[in-house]
Amino acid sequence: MPKITVDGKVIEAKDRQMVLQACLDAGVALPQYCYHPGLSIPASCRICLVEVEGIPKLVPSCQTPVRDGMVVYSKSSKAIANQKAVMEYLLINHPLDCPVCDQAGECYLQDYSYEYGRSQSRFEEDKQKKPKKDVGENILLYNDRCIMCTRCVRFTREVSGTSELYVDGRGSKEEIDIFPGKPLNNKLASNVVDLCPVGALLDKDFLFKQRVWLLKQAPSISPVDAGGENIFLEYNEGIIYRIKPRYNAEVNTWWISDDTRYSYKAVHSENRLTKPMRTQYGTQVETDYAGAIEHADSALKELVKTNGAGSTYAMLSPMMANEEAYLLATYIRSIDPQAVLVLGPTPSSGADEVFKNPANGKVTFTIKAEKVPNAAGIRRVIEKLGGPKATFEDFTKAESAELKKLKGGWIVGGYLSAWLPTEVPALFKKGLRIVQDILPTSLSGSCDVLLPAAAWAEKDGSWENFAGKIQPFLAAVPPPDGARREGDVYYKLLGRTGMYNAEDVRGEMGEPFAQIPLPDLETLAPAPEFIEL
Amino acid sequence: MKDSDVIVLEEPKLSLGDQFYIPQVLNGLGTTMKHMFRVLGGKDRVVQYPEEKREDLAIEKGGMLTRTYRGVHRLNKDEEGRVKCVACFMCSTACPARCIHIEADESPWADREKYPAKFDIDELRCIYCGMCEEACPVDAIELTHVYDIVGLTRQEMIFDKSKLLQVYDETVKNEPM
Ligand code: SF4
Ligand code: SF4
Ligand code: SF4
Ligand code: FES
Repeated sequence: MPKITVDGKVIEAKDRQMVLQACLDAGVALPQYCYHPGLSIPASCRICLVEVEGIPKLVPSCQTPVRDGMVVYSKSSKAIANQKAVMEYLLINHPLDCPVCDQAGECYLQDYSYEYGRSQSRFEEDKQKKPKKDVGENILLYNDRCIMCTRCVRFTREVSGTSELYVDGRGSKEEIDIFPGKPLNNKLASNVVDLCPVGALLDKDFLFKQRVWLLKQAPSISPVDAGGENIFLEYNEGIIYRIKPRYNAEVNTWWISDDTRYSYKAVHSENRLTKPMRTQYGTQVETDYAGAIEHADSALKELVKTNGAGSTYAMLSPMMANEEAYLLATYIRSIDPQAVLVLGPTPSSGADEVFKNPANGKVTFTIKAEKVPNAAGIRRVIEKLGGPKATFEDFTKAESAELKKLKGGWIVGGYLSAWLPTEVPALFKKGLRIVQDILPTSLSGSCDVLLPAAAWAEKDGSWENFAGKIQPFLAAVPPPDGARREGDVYYKLLGRTGMYNAEDVRGEMGEPFAQIPLPDLETLAPAPEFIEL
Repeated sequence: MKDSDVIVLEEPKLSLGDQFYIPQVLNGLGTTMKHMFRVLGGKDRVVQYPEEKREDLAIEKGGMLTRTYRGVHRLNKDEEGRVKCVACFMCSTACPARCIHIEADESPWADREKYPAKFDIDELRCIYCGMCEEACPVDAIELTHVYDIVGLTRQEMIFDKSKLLQVYDETVKNEPM
């Protein structure tokens, strides 16, 4: 392992690593605009230039491989003069937009101006004004804020492989643009907003909604498919404003799909179920939550008493956390030891969407076909608990003797969009149906007891992705008034005291759930491209 | 919350003198008398509000500096009479009392990007520190010398954008931007 000295500090680097990356890994801050660990290295912005002993000119640290015994200076007078010059040059035509720019607060240009720049401009001529462009369904391009780092262009060429963006013109006329009639609308498009070190590429969905420094982050997992992309839910005062990728080398690296990015909208949908209901003389009437839970409990017990063991089922939704599925299954088995556990519908888009770098054919990102996050986890929970179980297909047909005996049960939805299959199971139309869901369906409008539930962003838990990786997520916002977290309902039904605590339940569930570490915000490794100033 | 985080406060014990409360009443009256005699003796001054107002008096007569007084806020207007604020949230970020609530939106004007669709200040919560005025990059928010604001409900004391612009119209003559 080569050792290099940076500003007097000895750091260990990996073989063939670039100086900049070695420094970042060792926690030594160096400025960078164009360099991104997930993209090719053009070394075009020149802010990262450093002095290396034995080389007369400054070298770009992002593109210079380490050599054992290398001595690097990033704070020598030559290096500092370059940083100041680059900053001044970048700001020549930069508008004074920070008060109205959505990037303010997480802008490299702001941070580096503070750290490496000067507070005054010596430029006296008129600034160039470049047009604002609508480049895609979700994305705006403010060309005059662009610093031409070409990260966005490289992303569309190397990661999404769709090449919508290109550089038009040269010199001061240089601009990022799209080809006429070919908007930036691929399924990974909004990643360019995260990539852009300045406020040139902005998300229309987040535009002017909040200032970024007001947002708090909760580590979470993508709810839209089985990929298990790691994300941050960014919220303020009980409202989620945006979703940002959370770096995970094994799962999603730096990127997330646009479906994931905008999935938070269902959480704040106006249609959210917030009124607990129960059926009285054939019609649904509103009731209080405690009453609804009690009613559900006694109705289930009554059913088992008259029809005997094996007459109930629990449909565990693949949107549920493992912990919740475990608690519900434990509860229903405590009433009816022969209760059938069913995994809810797992919609699929048919085939995985694979993104490749056209230059070398390497797979850069995959959007999974299975459009639910936790089918694997629920299967594991059902397997672990043993006893009678059924697939959703069998449950729909209800042909076997075991399934014909079913008289009622507990159905959990929680899907972010319409989920009832076209062929609705006969059991969803008759018998005792206790439903927990977040959005209205024909089932929630006709069931015997309706318990409004919480969306994934409102509770703690864990999900298992397609590759068997179990990942925890934390709540960002409270459930809406009138809805309750599933976990709390099951705690009540099981006669447990206190509030639902996902970590405790995981401990109780045993391996492999017990040893999942919680993402700790303090120690959570920031994406390697992020530099703390 | 840990037990060590809990602070238990005890009611103070009353002494015998306190329990008799007549000495305490006389004590209080004494303070009133002291001030009365100081005024009669010409040592203290009483401003006969509302006939007399501090802003009309000379400084040495107990008046105040209207330019620096920190009273109710106003939102300034630009030359075209539009709200000057660009909804940057600097004021609400700087505000230690967290009493400024802004909702930003795309501006309806071609020459401006962003403007406040809503701008509410809770004048009861405000501590009149002037941080908002200090923070504003476009001099859109200012504290005026108006202090005699009243309302019958708390809701009335949450000043919205139109009211804050109205304060500007009322005060701009005496206190130009
Ligand atoms: S890109 Fe950065 S420096 Fe430029 S206006 Fe936006 S926040 Fe300010
Ligand atoms: S739009 Fe942003 S990412 Fe693209 S070149 Fe300009 S500054 Fe870089
Ligand atoms: S600081 Fe000024 S411009 Fe910014 S939101 Fe407050 S009043 Fe508006
Ligand atoms: S030249 Fe090295 S980061 Fe841009």
